[in-house]
Amino acid sequence: MIVAEQKSLEEIKKLVGNAKKVLVAGCGTCVTVCFAGGSREAAIVSAELRMSTKLAGDPKEVADVTVQRQCEWEYLDEIAEQVQGVDVVLSLGCGVGVQAIAEHFPNVWVVPGLNTKFMGLPTEQGVWAERCAACGDCILGLTGGICPIARCSKSLLNGPCGGSLDGHCEINAEVPCGWQLIYDRLKSMGKLEVLMEIQAPKNWRTSRDGGPRKIVREDLRLVSEEK
Amino acid sequence: MEYLQSLLKEIGLEPERARMFNLSAAMAGKFVEAAKEMTEKVTELGPNPLKSKMKDER
Repeated sequence: MIVAEQKSLEEIKKLVGNAKKVLVAGCGTCVTVCFAGGSREAAIVSAELRMSTKLAGDPKEVADVTVQRQCEWEYLDEIAEQVQGVDVVLSLGCGVGVQAIAEHFPNVWVVPGLNTKFMGLPTEQGVWAERCAACGDCILGLTGGICPIARCSKSLLNGPCGGSLDGHCEINAEVPCGWQLIYDRLKSMGKLEVLMEIQAPKNWRTSRDGGPRKIVREDLRLVSEEK
Repeated sequence: MEYLQSLLKEIGLEPERARMFNLSAAMAGKFVEAAKEMTEKVTELGPNPLKSKMKDER
């Protein structure tokens, strides 16, 4: 899932500025399950904004609404009327959600209420950790299902480096060494021979280095009369 | 409760305005004690500033 964290109320108030009518827009997918921007959080942020601006003598009209997914036009259509009737939309979606609102409603001012952090999973209740860096050319098949791009601080393809100590990374003793994890897993699976193959430098053009990415599936596209 | 108190603080209200007491229905003495304690605390803090703002608006 996409993991995000709420911005501070102070920053949110700055972003909302002197708008009088605010719509807090939650998202029912990734940011709901990481407790950052679902309907519960949208209602809380909305109440926080109402109360703190009233205390400051500048009361705002704040409502909240949550859609199933902010990153798809179809779901955004459901809130078209509410979005058009306010001075600012505070999106509690990830960065994709904020941009989807901006793109779908060109005349609406939208600001982010979250910081989008990474793609990851909950390792225990209340703890989320990064697992995928979306490099665009998955090599998990070479590393026992543990990603060296996301989990090695240097994204090494032939690790570990000299900074690996007792299974931990030199950047922080609390960070496990990604390559130690790979080694341990391959060893437990009896597949250490996989590591004997030296990996050539990665083609980073499939990642961010190649500029903004896009996928086109001609078999799925609608022909003009179907649109 | 800690989270709620942190929200109150962020909003600009005293976090002590909200507290949780664990009691069973059979603990009358403890209930009275808790009610007295909270009454004293909110009396000391004074009226909820949000309520007085609401009156100003009327």
